Amino acid sequence: MFLAASFAASESRPSQYDVEAAYLLNFGRFLRLTPEAEPRPGATFDICVLGEDLMGRSLDAIAENEKIDGRPVRIRRVPEARQARSCDIVYISAAEGERIGTDLEALRGASALTVSDDPGFLRQGGIIQFVLQGSHVRFGVNLDAARKSRVNLSSQLLRVAFSIGGAPSGEVTP
Amino acid sequence: MRSWSSQTISAKITRMNLLVSGTALILAYISFLGYDWYSLRHDLVSSLDTEAAIIGANSVSALDFDDPQAAEITLSGLRGSPHVLYAAIIQPDGRSFAEYLRDPDFRPVPGPRLAPGDDESHWNLNGSILLGQRIVFGGKTLGSVYVLAETTDVAHRAERFGLISACILLLSFLIAVLATSAIRNLISRPLTELAQTAQVVSRDRDYSVRAELPSSSDELAFLVRSFNEMLEQIQHRDRMLEQSRTVLEQKVQERTAELTAANRELEAFSYSVAHDLRGPLQNISNIGFLLQQTCAAGDVDGPVLVEKLFDGTSRMSKLIDDLLRLSRATSTPLQRTEVDLSKMVERILKEHETQARNRQVEIVVAPNVYVNADERLLYLAMENLLGNAWKYTSKSASPRIEFGWRKDAQGTVYFVRDTGAGFDPALAGRLFRPFQRLHPESEFPGTGIGLATVQRIIARHGGRIWATAGVDQGAEFSFTLPAETEEPSEAAAI
Repeated sequence: MFLAASFAASESRPSQYDVEAAYLLNFGRFLRLTPEAEPRPGATFDICVLGEDLMGRSLDAIAENEKIDGRPVRIRRVPEARQARSCDIVYISAAEGERIGTDLEALRGASALTVSDDPGFLRQGGIIQFVLQGSHVRFGVNLDAARKSRVNLSSQLLRVAFSIGGAPSGEVTP
Repeated sequence: MRSWSSQTISAKITRMNLLVSGTALILAYISFLGYDWYSLRHDLVSSLDTEAAIIGANSVSALDFDDPQAAEITLSGLRGSPHVLYAAIIQPDGRSFAEYLRDPDFRPVPGPRLAPGDDESHWNLNGSILLGQRIVFGGKTLGSVYVLAETTDVAHRAERFGLISACILLLSFLIAVLATSAIRNLISRPLTELAQTAQVVSRDRDYSVRAELPSSSDELAFLVRSFNEMLEQIQHRDRMLEQSRTVLEQKVQERTAELTAANRELEAFSYSVAHDLRGPLQNISNIGFLLQQTCAAGDVDGPVLVEKLFDGTSRMSKLIDDLLRLSRATSTPLQRTEVDLSKMVERILKEHETQARNRQVEIVVAPNVYVNADERLLYLAMENLLGNAWKYTSKSASPRIEFGWRKDAQGTVYFVRDTGAGFDPALAGRLFRPFQRLHPESEFPGTGIGLATVQRIIARHGGRIWATAGVDQGAEFSFTLPAETEEPSEAAAI
């Protein structure tokens, strides 16, 4: 439905970033809070974009009027990692490049799901990394990183994951 | 095949048993099958529902992240459900997202789709069930699952039920046959025997046969008993009929004999009348001739001859009078009254005494003899009997006439006894026939009609008369007069 809606909106073949934007929202639906995670103070479900926003308006369009866990979805664009600690999902643009390591360090212990399409993201301690397989957008999961961030991923999500890794395990393999 | 109505009762019972049990079984078969069909379908639908729900739930992420392979892996879990032919996950825009085929060669035909607003529905297709269910996650419809399952189980069940029913039908047929033989002993056999007995009765007209009583005490036994009683009554009536027919035949024979005898007597009578009337007529004729001759010769014998002529006519007149009396004695109706017979006898004898004063006759009359009879006829009879007694004692040395009665086996017997000439007992049979005279006219005058008249009068009163005597030993005439008897027929009276 989301995909269909976004396709209908762009009236063209969805770009990689349109798909990634829709996936970001879908990740939110398969996110489970661990019992030890501190309750979220905010009344909104925040999806934050750190760094250069390559998705642009499509993310806003998809998130419009959506709710996750009864909370309205809010898209925030933050220039610094520290500002993203209260976010539920933090999308780190691949454009961050070498800053990704420090960004992740800044988000350590923040109970936020970190997502990026940077090829070395999982190795650096990110939780979900988009992978392009042909024209198809897939994703890999680093369970160790998720555990450390006290982010609980639904098995449903893991079922469709392209790859599931433990500790930073180097290259993502199909 | 014979028609229903002409079959034997046991055949009818067998058929009825089979019909009833067969019908019951078929009805039970249909209802069981219907119930089974319904419940199997229901079970199938609910299991398909569960499977679709599981598939739907497990396909949420696949749909969300556009991963048909993951969805197909989920669908392949249906291999554990052999009745599922085909399953598919359809995206909201109607495109097929993932498919499952039990047999790779199977080509599903496009089936119905869920109507907007329906979350779940199922359709009965030709021999299979298609179930559709929406996949909803987080309040959003992600797509829908369709599962197509065959219902061969239901067909197998129907087959099995049919086999079982056929076995039961066969069993019930056997039981019906056994039950019929039992029923035959209870109902059919007594009925058949009764029918056979009835046939024997109507064919041979033999009412002495009896149907055998069945050992039971139901309506059948009652029927057989009633039938036997009916036969008994018919037999009894038959016997009575036979008896009365025999009696009737006997009576007819008797009457015929009587009639023949009467006819013969009548012939003899006419002959006698003609013969006896010709006697005096010949006399008169002869005397007339003599008178004619003497008158012509101028003889003086005329008055004597005329005297003889009158004698002849008076004899003839007397004969005709007696004949009239005899006729009256047989033809006039009886008028019975109480008659003092003693007084009647005395009066008759008194008349004779006054007419013949020169005779001395000892007379004994039993007093107070009353009878129920026609007085005029009885008087005629007694006058004849007493007149005979008076006449035949005329040459007796010490004449005696006695009237009396005695009791014997036949009841009261009255008698008139005299000491007169009597008669030869060998000729007693001729005594009461008309014109039969046992003594010559010259010795005792008479017409020979008197005793015949007496006999008829007594007979008309239902009595009997007979005589006992010896030559010169007197005679005794005995007779009975039954108080009230039916008048014998004319034939017997002549």
